[in-house]
Amino acid sequence: MEITIRVNGQERTASVPPETTLLTMLRANLGLTGAKLGCDVGDCGACSVLVDGEPVNACLMLAAQAAGRDVLTIEGLGDFQELSPLQEMFELFSSFQCGFCAPGMIISAKALLDKTPNPTAAEVREALSGNLCRCTGYTKIIDAVMEMASRGAAESERA
Amino acid sequence: MRHRGRGIACMWYPIGFTVAANPSAAVVKVNEDGSATVLTGTVETGQGALTVLGQIAAEELGIAADDVHLVSGDTDATPMDTGAIASRTTYVTGNAIQMAAAEAKKILFEVAAPMLGVRPEQLEARDRRIQVIGFPQKNLPIGEVAHHAQVVMGRPPLGSASYNPPTVAMDPETGQGKPFSTYVYAAQVAEVEVDDETGEVEVLRIVAAHDCGTPINPTLVEGQVEGGISMGVGLALQEEILFDAEGRQINPNLTNYIMPTSLDMPEVEVDIVKNYDPTGPFGAKGVGEPTSVPTAAAIANAIYDAVGVRIHSLPATSEKVLMALREKRAMQKQIPAE
Repeated sequence: MEITIRVNGQERTASVPPETTLLTMLRANLGLTGAKLGCDVGDCGACSVLVDGEPVNACLMLAAQAAGRDVLTIEGLGDFQELSPLQEMFELFSSFQCGFCAPGMIISAKALLDKTPNPTAAEVREALSGNLCRCTGYTKIIDAVMEMASRGAAESERA
Repeated sequence: MRHRGRGIACMWYPIGFTVAANPSAAVVKVNEDGSATVLTGTVETGQGALTVLGQIAAEELGIAADDVHLVSGDTDATPMDTGAIASRTTYVTGNAIQMAAAEAKKILFEVAAPMLGVRPEQLEARDRRIQVIGFPQKNLPIGEVAHHAQVVMGRPPLGSASYNPPTVAMDPETGQGKPFSTYVYAAQVAEVEVDDETGEVEVLRIVAAHDCGTPINPTLVEGQVEGGISMGVGLALQEEILFDAEGRQINPNLTNYIMPTSLDMPEVEVDIVKNYDPTGPFGAKGVGEPTSVPTAAAIANAIYDAVGVRIHSLPATSEKVLMALREKRAMQKQIPAE
């Protein structure tokens, strides 16, 4: 079936079998490999993307369910030449180690800050609790999100 | 009712393999633009090894870490490395890189000495320059010296070296030996709350003091300690591979194998105990595995401090803690055992 999704501000169309997940369409059909395939059952959060501003596990959503909607992936935030302010903050705090969780973690943090510009530490922990990280102990990830919030830069974080 | 308790645990941990050979090697080349290229077999797995190794090369050559280009992990181009294991990379690979960089620097000094009208041993490398010790205004840019070495003197500034930690195998008669070249030490304190009605344990805070020799990159040391603590919390309270009677794992997924999330991670305070090991690169030792060694023991001790029960098998799940509390109460004849 033919599916058109607005991905990172651009209309993207692909012809995929109906059982195709959003994650598979993003990675295999649209070449957007920032969202990772981790557990493939919605436990690890490595595939997190925003759909109409809401964080979802792209491995659990069918591509067809995202048809006609706005999807934001990590590629929509920044790139190596120009990081977004939120990405810069994670870099400043040396938040990540192996980096596999990073795209999903950043997307979840953005989802939180878009809605709650001044979260408490408990709210940050809650918002990131669907994104597993084996390396970092989350500490510097939480610290970066708290610093981002305190600088009030959330408003300028536009895709 | 929730009870608060504190526990402490200490550890030592060896760097490198037990007696067995575990060499690292490196090639360092100083380029005509003043940058340097390091060939190392070691692999970056996110711990920051290449950052630290680049810093070590830069410090030895008197250039910036940004000036160092690391080529790693491909034995088509690099020496073989024993591996990013045994908490050995900073110490063993770092020593090899420092020694290789020192060799390249020796050539630069020998080339620069007549250019500056001094002896090579009167020179030092700092701020991207080769300069006379005590007379820094007498200097040459390191790239200019490297260029002169290459095209005029015909002596490219290269160095290669390998390092294998010195050890002594155990004497079977006396039981004596030197299994490792160096060790690191740490102590962690855990503060927990234990619910005596459910057995649930919450780790509120871990304070971790770690000796890693000279912390080449303190931020990365903190990251290693924080990550190790999260693994220690998982070991202490959550993570367990379960098998059925036929030996098949029954929880081969993240739904039933429960690892810590951001909600399980306690507040962490890291205290890097500054130390200097004369056998390490710029005094450094290592910090990887040791970070998760004392955590579970500190938590188990904190559980005992909070509710007076000893948990002897990990993870200390709510069920285990509750059973231990019931046994304790039964012993005290407060309530009958079930």
